[in-house]
Amino acid sequence: MSTSSTGLSRRRFLVGAASIGAVPLLASCVGSGSDAGTPAGGATTLTLQSSIQDTGPKAALQEVVAAYTGQQTTLNSVATEQFRAQLSTYLSSSTPPDVLAWYAGSVANSYAQQGLLLDVSDLWGPGGACANFSPALRALSTSSDGKAIFVPTSYYWWSIFYKKSAFAQWGIEPPTTWDGFIALCDQLKARGIHPLTNGIGSTAWMTSGWFDYLNLRINGATYHRELLAGKHSFEDKQVADVLDQYRRLIPYFHPNQTSWDAQQAVTPMVNNEAAMYLVGAFCTQYFPKEQQDDLDFFSVPTINPGVPTAEEAPTDGFFAAAGSKNPQGAKDLLSYLASAKAQQTYIQKSGSSNMPTSPEVDTTTFSPLVQKGIALLNSTQEITQFFNRDSSDALQATADAALTKFLANPADIPAAQREWQAAAKQVFTS
Amino acid sequence: MTGATALRARPRTGGSAPGVRKRRGVLGRVPVLVWVFLAVPLAVELFWVFWPAFNSFSLSFTSWKGVGPAQPVGFANYERLFADPVFMTALRNNAIWVVGFGGLSVAGGLALAVALNRPGRGISIYRSAIYLPMVVSLAVTGLLWRVMYQPDGPIDAGLGVLGLDAWSRQWLADPDTALYAVLIAAVWRQVGYIMVLYLAGLKGVDPSLEEAAAVDGANAWQRFWRVVMPQLRGVNTVIFAVTVIDSLRTFDIVWAMTRGGPYNMTQLLSTYMFQQGFTLVNLGYGSAIAVVIFVLAVAFIITYLVRQSREEA
Repeated sequence: MSTSSTGLSRRRFLVGAASIGAVPLLASCVGSGSDAGTPAGGATTLTLQSSIQDTGPKAALQEVVAAYTGQQTTLNSVATEQFRAQLSTYLSSSTPPDVLAWYAGSVANSYAQQGLLLDVSDLWGPGGACANFSPALRALSTSSDGKAIFVPTSYYWWSIFYKKSAFAQWGIEPPTTWDGFIALCDQLKARGIHPLTNGIGSTAWMTSGWFDYLNLRINGATYHRELLAGKHSFEDKQVADVLDQYRRLIPYFHPNQTSWDAQQAVTPMVNNEAAMYLVGAFCTQYFPKEQQDDLDFFSVPTINPGVPTAEEAPTDGFFAAAGSKNPQGAKDLLSYLASAKAQQTYIQKSGSSNMPTSPEVDTTTFSPLVQKGIALLNSTQEITQFFNRDSSDALQATADAALTKFLANPADIPAAQREWQAAAKQVFTS
Repeated sequence: MTGATALRARPRTGGSAPGVRKRRGVLGRVPVLVWVFLAVPLAVELFWVFWPAFNSFSLSFTSWKGVGPAQPVGFANYERLFADPVFMTALRNNAIWVVGFGGLSVAGGLALAVALNRPGRGISIYRSAIYLPMVVSLAVTGLLWRVMYQPDGPIDAGLGVLGLDAWSRQWLADPDTALYAVLIAAVWRQVGYIMVLYLAGLKGVDPSLEEAAAVDGANAWQRFWRVVMPQLRGVNTVIFAVTVIDSLRTFDIVWAMTRGGPYNMTQLLSTYMFQQGFTLVNLGYGSAIAVVIFVLAVAFIITYLVRQSREEA
């Protein structure tokens, strides 16, 4: 005791400070910095890095993690934008978080190709936590070299949402054909109601919802996936057809859509000033409690009967870092998160209309809206994720710029296509 | 400071050796502790400022996604810059920003400082009220003004009261108005800061000179430009440097209000750099934009300082 209390001389302090300063110097070659705070060799604890920020889902995940009885788990919630920006740094650091919440699809696959994700094939093997998940989910969670790298825990659907009471008040029915949809929009507009709402201000990616669906309905899911993978040009005639239909819709949107975000776009629907909203099922949590049961939806009607039916169903879940110091623990945590009990708790506490990936979850207690969503996805032939998840965040940025600009100046479609293709080319070649 | 004192102390203690040896002797006589005190901040500065800046330069000649080794690409990033329409928009917006933000905040700040540079009841309340926005961070300012500009928000409502409904528009979503809408919010905050700097400068102005000029028959306008302004030269140098640097590094308020949208029409060099570097993780390309910002800032400041020192010489 006495030595340590007298031993902290100024000289020793300076030596200590200098050695602390030297650590990053030694490790600071470009591209090899490491900054994660987890202690090295902490093989008995786990870190779960989450990007979930909506209030309900965030609290639900905290509850699920608190109920985990395995190794001690620390949950870090990081703002989504920052998480997206730092994700590659997290994964490539020498002490990465063990498990991370992110999206399935080409986004996860791109990290798997860089060897950054843990192979979780045993979870998908016989007796594993994901063994009974649907073949579509299995395909979605498998990287291009055949390894399972993702554990999906929930997904949701996109559709055109409306309020049953409002439709009843206006004496209208959900349309079943594309011409019927356009006619309905004309009828509503003539009565001073904004047929469609959207929020493309700070959430410019919402413009991709209609682009995706029009492309799926006109050119089909195969072309859509290939276009987003860079196998076709945005100057194709197919894309021109999509933009041509998109242009027809422009007068039907609420003019304030350019100022709103996805959440604010709900306001005119709440007040019966706008009728319909193409959006993901997460929108239910944006409506007041008493209106949530009033919500219903219909799928975007068929435009080209020659292409298979398709719906967007973005899948959320978790993957583990290849560099995890505790791979066994990480897999155990993933198995727990994939379990029917954890999924059920998460979905019911979060208040958004997500659907479970485990077939063992008892969905009979879920709301009629979610039941209808499950039926929709079970009956469709093709499932896509969403623009960014089927391509990359970089290509999403080109779509945001191209589509918001197109919606503001729709006159010259070929020019819009040229500009978009030029930006997309940068993404695919850089 | 310590070094300067040591140097000045020398002639009293030292002999009259030839120049070179004299200097070496001086350096040798500086206590080791002084060198330590100089070396520690130097090391911190080198490590935290110059090393990252150097890395930024070297990164700008590579293509790096943040994972794996960086690929050297020579000047490809810089060639890409000048073919990139968004970069050109950002460059043009930055020019508008430097002129608009600098001009309006300096003109406004100077006018307010002159108006409030007099004793009187409640004058300090006015001064504090005008300085108050400066206390709020730029991000919060941005959020506040977003509410002001929202459709059917206070600004549109105000125009409605004045019977100018036709003028109301989606200020932040309309590419014709978005940049200027953000500019006004930024000037609203900056003007108090510039005012305080000028107020401090005006306190140092000798009132007897102004009185003498008044006796000689100079009017208020002449007194201000011919007598007061020349005495504010020191303050002007500071304000010019602060304003140019502030306008080139403006980031948070644009990011909070428009994120560079609609469709990149309000992108500044800083926001475009952030988007490329940290949202899209094109660290090489982002670094090239950062280098351009650096070169512009340094060129501005050096030109001005050189001109300034020439005038003084």
